Amino acid sequence: MQPPPISFWHRAQQIPRHYIYLLLAAVVVWQLLFPIRLPIAPSVATRGVYDAIAAVPDDQLILISTDWDASTEAETAPQTQTVIEACFQLKKRFCIMNLSPPMGVKLAHDIAQKTAARYGASYGVDWCNWGYKYGYDNVLMAIAKNIPKAIGGDFYGKPVSSLPMMEGVKDVKSIGLVVEITGLSGLTEMWIGLIQGPYRVPFASAYTAVMAPGYYPFLDSGQIKGMLVGAKGAAEMEVLVKRPGKATDIMNVQSWAHVLIIALILVGNAGYVLARVRAGGRER
Amino acid sequence: MNPELYILWATAIATLGIYTILYRENPISRLFEHIFVGLSAGYLVASTWTLNLEGKWWRPMVTERHWYWIFAPIVGLLFYFIYSRRLVWLARLVMGLFFGTAAGYLFREFFPIYSPQLYACFKPLRPGAGLGWAVLNNWLFVIIVLTVMTYFFFSIPHEGRIGRPLGRSSLLGRWFLMIAFGAMFGNTVMARMSLFIGRVRFLLTDWLGHYLPWLAGRGL
Repeated sequence: MQPPPISFWHRAQQIPRHYIYLLLAAVVVWQLLFPIRLPIAPSVATRGVYDAIAAVPDDQLILISTDWDASTEAETAPQTQTVIEACFQLKKRFCIMNLSPPMGVKLAHDIAQKTAARYGASYGVDWCNWGYKYGYDNVLMAIAKNIPKAIGGDFYGKPVSSLPMMEGVKDVKSIGLVVEITGLSGLTEMWIGLIQGPYRVPFASAYTAVMAPGYYPFLDSGQIKGMLVGAKGAAEMEVLVKRPGKATDIMNVQSWAHVLIIALILVGNAGYVLARVRAGGRER
Repeated sequence: MNPELYILWATAIATLGIYTILYRENPISRLFEHIFVGLSAGYLVASTWTLNLEGKWWRPMVTERHWYWIFAPIVGLLFYFIYSRRLVWLARLVMGLFFGTAAGYLFREFFPIYSPQLYACFKPLRPGAGLGWAVLNNWLFVIIVLTVMTYFFFSIPHEGRIGRPLGRSSLLGRWFLMIAFGAMFGNTVMARMSLFIGRVRFLLTDWLGHYLPWLAGRGL
């Protein structure tokens, strides 16, 4: 006896994954080459980051902790780019630092160097790089008490106390805002527990989209002033700094890719429901 | 050839090699996976020395005559006594030191992290001037907090006069949790897509765009 023919709705639930990958790749390539632009509106969380940067007094520094590496570069690099862009536009002095993974300090340094060249900003005066500092909690506790001693040498090995912008910088009171850009969970808790909470230093952050939902309670309680969520947050920040770039491209493509994913989910579920309805009908 | 071009080609080949996994498990993707793991481990070892140990431990000990730093690796090596039955207490000594330090840090960090979130749970629920949607939002927030908390309350069975309402609240809490997990999963999809788009963008603009200026000029 021949097996009953597989219905269309059964097939709709079992589309081979290779076809789905190909379809997704086609949509991504199509939108990268022939983009149909969709509007991007900055969210309250993103606006919070921009406003927090703008609110930093001129005599204080912004500390950008770039704790990311190549594995999350597609999200965290545009985030770093836009935060640095905002600092230069708003004429705020900033320092880059890295707690982990060490690769982040070089990647962020390259971004800052390229952006600084566009704004005519100079190293040591408008921005500097404190380098990779190993020790997590210990580093933060040391920074709180004595920055020049805790940091020692900068990215180039030169004592940070010799940089013009570091003149008069003693302890955590010299920091007007900490911006944490990361793909690692756990670091925010450390910053909040050791710096934001005890010393009332304003704190803003940028996370990969995977980890961002876990940090909304911190945003709601006001411990985090603003938050960039993945490439979406970076794209929204690009709107605020009026310089559309990589994140805007990614988000535009992403929106169309999401349309495809939603359509596939609907097809799969419709197949499931209709196949059951038909089977039920035959049984009756 | 310009060394930058070697890097460009190596990056493109590695990206394509890793993505062959989408077809099926194969030696090419395995090869690039192992290269990636090896490179990461090597980078970590090298950077630990150059960016940390050399400046913070070796140089002070050797050039600045801070001889007492010699004890740091000795204390660290005590961890390896975990393999000796007779001298395992030495390993426990350093472990105890680390546990104590970590516990101290956690204790110090706990209140600044969680107490503001506890205060933030107390929201105005009475409609006042100018609150509008915010009050509705606050009600939603408080209901979700309470129902989710009842989901994790296991001390009373969910039956009887007190238990049944608790069970219903817990069921509602489970629904809210499912919605939260759905949002988290959506964000995960978004993150993975961003990484994929980032790689395709690199292949089109940086790699192919190097040879086909038309691609690089597509406004990417």
